[in-house]
Formats: sequence, C-alpha cells, structure tokens
Amino acid sequence: MNSRFRPAKTAALLYILICFFLLSSCVSHLREAKFYYTQGEKLSRVYKEEKSLAYFKRALIEAKLEVAKHPSAQAYMLKGMAELNLELLVEAEESFLQAFSYGFEKGEDWAKQLSLYGLGVSLQETGLEDSCLKIYVYLLNRSNFKQVCLLASQRYSDIMLKKALPKKGKERGKILADLLKTAEKLTNKDLSCGFYHYIQSQVYSHIEDYRKSFEEAVMAKELGLPTEKILRDNDNQIIFCHRKLKEELSPKDWEYFNSLYLKWMEKWNWEGPETPSWKKR
Amino acid sequence: MKKSPAETILSSAVELLSEFLPNKSYLYFPLLSSSLSWAIKRTKEWKENIFSWEVWPDPGIVEVKSEEFIYSFFKNNSALDKAYRDEIKRRDFSTLRQAFSRLYPVIGLEDPFLSAFFHQELKTGEFRKIVKEFDAKVSQAREDVETIQAKTRLLEGLKTFADEMVSIGSDLFSRKDVQKAVKELVKKNNQEK
Repeated sequence: MNSRFRPAKTAALLYILICFFLLSSCVSHLREAKFYYTQGEKLSRVYKEEKSLAYFKRALIEAKLEVAKHPSAQAYMLKGMAELNLELLVEAEESFLQAFSYGFEKGEDWAKQLSLYGLGVSLQETGLEDSCLKIYVYLLNRSNFKQVCLLASQRYSDIMLKKALPKKGKERGKILADLLKTAEKLTNKDLSCGFYHYIQSQVYSHIEDYRKSFEEAVMAKELGLPTEKILRDNDNQIIFCHRKLKEELSPKDWEYFNSLYLKWMEKWNWEGPETPSWKKR
Repeated sequence: MKKSPAETILSSAVELLSEFLPNKSYLYFPLLSSSLSWAIKRTKEWKENIFSWEVWPDPGIVEVKSEEFIYSFFKNNSALDKAYRDEIKRRDFSTLRQAFSRLYPVIGLEDPFLSAFFHQELKTGEFRKIVKEFDAKVSQAREDVETIQAKTRLLEGLKTFADEMVSIGSDLFSRKDVQKAVKELVKKNNQEK
C-alpha cells in the first residue's frame, strides 16, 4: 500500500517545497526595508529618536540587500531615504541618482517625486541651496501628492527665510512677501491642513505680525500637526507671540487678547500661559 | 483571465507530457500545472503589492527663526540669560543663532533623546559645552545606536505558508480541470481497492 502512494506523496511534497520556495523568495528585502522604514518614521513622529534610528539602520541593511539582489529604482529610493535619516548625505545623494538612472515605471510617480525630494535634501545639506530650491519649487507647483507638497513647503520656506535673514528693507520685505504668498496659496488649497497654517505662522513671525502669527499657530494646533516635534515648536510660537503681544498691545487690547488666550490655555490643558503639558516644570 | 507567458508554456508542457506517460499518471499534471500557475500569479501579485506600498517621511520644523524669537528664547530662560549675558546685551546674533541651533532642540523642544544625552551638562548649566560638543557627541551617539534585530523569519514564514496553503486550496478547487482530475483519481483509487 505504501509503495502505491509513494508517487503521490512525493508529488505533494514537491508542490509544498516549490510553493514554499516561491513564497519565501517573495518576502523580499524591499518589503522588509519598507516595513522598517515605516516603523522608524512612526517612532520618530512621537519623539522616540533612539528606537527610530535602530529601525532606520535595519531599513538601510534591507535596502542594501535588495539593491544587491534585485536593483530597482524603488530599492535605491528606499536606501536613499534611510541614509537621509541616518545623515549619510553623500551616500543618499548617490542612491537617489542611481534611482533615477534605473528609471521609474508607470504607477511609481510617488516614488519618483519622493526621490526628487530626497535628492533635493541631500543637495541642500551639502550646500547646493539654489539647485535644491528649484527642485522644491518644481514639486510645489507640479506634485499632486499632498505629502510631497508638505515636505517641499517646509524645505522651501526654510531656504527662503535663510535668504531673507541677511537682507534689509525692501529686499527682505519682497522675499518674505513672496514666501507668504506661497504659504497662503498652499493654505487656500487645503484649508484643513494644520501644517500649512504652521508654515504661515512662522512666516508671519518673521514679518513681525504677531497677531496673525498667533492666529495661524492656533489654527495649526487645532487642525493637528504631523509630528510631536512640530507640535512643540508651534506651541513655542504661540508662547512667543503671547510675549510679544504683551509688549505691543495697548492695555485695553491686551486685556481682551489675554482673556482669549486664557480660554485657549484652558482648552489645551496648559498649566500656565507658558507651560504646555509636554514642558518640564 | 489572460494567461502569462510562463503559464502558457507550463500548460503546453503538461499537455505534451500527458501524451507519453503511462497508467493515467498524467492525471497528476492538471494539479501540478494549476499549482505552479497559482504560484507564478501569486508571486506577481506579491511583487505588485510591495511596489505599490507607498512610504512617506514626515516634514521637519521650520528651523530658521527670527532674531526676535532667538532673543526671546535666551532672555526668558534665566539660566541661558545668565550664560549668554554678554551676547544678549550686544545682540550678537551670529553667536546666539549658532548656539540656538544646538540648544533649542534640547531646551526649547525638550527632545527626550538629546535631553537625556546632555543631562549632566543641563544640570550644571554648561550650555557652552553642549554647543561646542553637540555635533561630535550626537553623531557618535547616533552611530552607537544598535540596529534593530530582524523579525524571526521562521515564524513569519510559517504564518505565510499557512495563509498561502489556504489560498492555494481555495484557488485550485475552484478550477474545473483540477476538480475533474481529483474525481478521476478518487475513482481510480476505489477501483484498485
């Protein structure tokens, strides 16, 4: 009886082995790299820097393995993104260039734009600000991906603010006015996006319009911000505006403003006008 | 559904082999053909799923702050006001901005990683030491963080295996040629008994 069923058993075993082999090869390093990268971002979002670094390091290892075994534009993109997070800027630039040399296929627009952004960041960090400014402007004007616009808007704002810093008078005013126009355009495109309100608040602060900066920061806080770090920075902006308005406003206006401020403070469960819940006391 | 080139070749090979093999053993081939076709299709699906998985980083903070913001940061912290009294008095924004870029994440944003790392300096008020050693120390600390261990592939592989066996089962038993082959095999087995 045993000998009669041997071929069937052998065949069944063969199927299982074939299937297992095919499936285990599908658990690719690209999938692993994406998994670890996403986990790293999640942890970084809640300020768990040490753990997120550990995940980015694993993502880089997996991306390197994928690049060695099955090189593709996405594999290089992932490698570049992990390198950016680990501040390996020269390597990141090389990875993004490699990603472009492989070329992105149809349906990979998100990866193409993210690689362009990544290339911009690596160029920016190595001092080529004008080249990367062009990249950010291109992405801001052309991208249909909200995430790409968020990323590019932050980088664009930082460069423009840096350009405005040493300038005086009209020249400075023009740079800031142009930046404000871009920030307003982004906000109008997506009024419910807290991050764009945050950007606007930061620009108003440079223009020294603290009332508007305060209002935009409050809007940003109410609508929600992508990371704990941005949320804390926005809270600091609210506190800074509160201080400046105390100096600027007439006693009557200050009394009115402060009564509003205290209401917000209560809503946010702050212990005092300058102590958000996350601040050490 | 349109067959992929590999599936077409496989079907032809099975057809050809069935002509030569004795004792109805060709009845196993629809099963073999279907399971391999399934595996090929499944591999393609997996690959597409992995490639269409979008991953996004988060944006950072706007790092370029106004001089007034920097001034306020130093002036409203008594320890910093004391440590940078001269620079604040002279409104030396070249020095203050440089110090701000290092101290703001630690003191202003209370980054838990950096705060823990510079705990001693913060306790003793050695802010200039933090500024001076920030890049080298932080870079070293980042390097020292150990890579997360990879997931246990065996357990993950077994789970995947179980899931895929369910998938292959439901896929194969919905195919007419396989159903026919199984029916023939059972019939043949009963006759031999």
